[in-house]
Amino acid sequence: MPSTRTWLQAGGGTVVAALLVAAVVQAMHSSAMWVSNDPVGECGATSGGAVVAAQNVLWAGTGLQPVDGSWDAQSEVATEAFQAYNGLPVTGCVDESTWVTMRALVVSVCDPEFECQGPDHRVRYWAPDGGAREAYFAENDCDWGSVVPPGVALSPVASDTVIALSRDAVTEIECGG
Amino acid sequence: MVTTIDEPRIRPEWLLGGAVTLLGAIIIVVVTLVLGSGEEEPVVAPADATDLTVGTCAEGLRQPHWVPDDVRRAVAECPADISAGIGRTTAEDHLGTWITYPLDGEVNAETFRGGPGPGWPADDVRAGAYHPASAILYVAYPDSTELSDELSGDTVTVEWQKLAESGGDARVTRVDNNGYGPVRVEWTDDVGSYLLLATVGRTPTGSAGPTVAELVRIADSVAAEDE
Repeated sequence: MPSTRTWLQAGGGTVVAALLVAAVVQAMHSSAMWVSNDPVGECGATSGGAVVAAQNVLWAGTGLQPVDGSWDAQSEVATEAFQAYNGLPVTGCVDESTWVTMRALVVSVCDPEFECQGPDHRVRYWAPDGGAREAYFAENDCDWGSVVPPGVALSPVASDTVIALSRDAVTEIECGG
Repeated sequence: MVTTIDEPRIRPEWLLGGAVTLLGAIIIVVVTLVLGSGEEEPVVAPADATDLTVGTCAEGLRQPHWVPDDVRRAVAECPADISAGIGRTTAEDHLGTWITYPLDGEVNAETFRGGPGPGWPADDVRAGAYHPASAILYVAYPDSTELSDELSGDTVTVEWQKLAESGGDARVTRVDNNGYGPVRVEWTDDVGSYLLLATVGRTPTGSAGPTVAELVRIADSVAAEDE
């Protein structure tokens, strides 16, 4: 007859295993879909790669600059304008519904079945001067990253560098193999 | 007896009045000509949308035959342009061709005045008064047979719609934010795969951009008149 202690140990082990499985599933999901990254702005991270990505889209969509990976008042106003135009609740923070809206604007530059290397997705807004404002993204095996065009990036964000969507720091994306 | 007959005379005030009138008429004519020269000829939407890309690198590409009346021009961007812009991608033969159709009309014009910041009144921002220009993006991936990965999210709706002309189906993906937001229409045929992207934008006076029905009609027109 198992003792109470044995039952508790078994239950605890089950809970730990379930948490591990959930963490792995969440990690896999995060690497595949950058829309599921944690929110940025006032409701979340205020610096890092996710902020770079959001600012990058806001550059294309609202003319926000510079893109420096640091959340500020200009970023918030740009987010509010983006949210209002896209019918979202105007909060000024890039929550999940705002991420999803941004993600829907990203278009592959390559055949959908072909894996280009480097910046292979982009957001492109038509500009009145006949040009365009663009933000590039890279989907690698390990992660999504954003690429800030020259003239828009401000240190510590370097232009033409793939910035991983990591909340921890502004880091260049690194993929093994 | 001497009779003095006054010769008819042109009175000075008549001369002055005539000169002023003539000068006024000349000014009116000149001003009218100057102002008239600044007006653009009314642009009429072409009967076939493929006319918009004649002379560009997209000429001959499988593309829409119909676009909304608000579309007056198209800007093509071909794989070589995109590859050069990216600077890293070498697989030019796998790149799509992009055609941007800007929409005319005041509601579709970009309203940014300076960058986002304190200079943008909060109430105007919340009303959607600061928005980009509306445009419809069409991307053709020749020799492709697949669609992009399906999006997911609480506000994302995905449905398949029949394309009457081609007999195929198009995947219509909406980020439905209270009736506004991005719309993607994607489909494949025996030549390649295609994407149409536009935003149904919320503005203080209503909405900007095309309707979902218009996007589906554009998609359906790609297969029209191919025979």
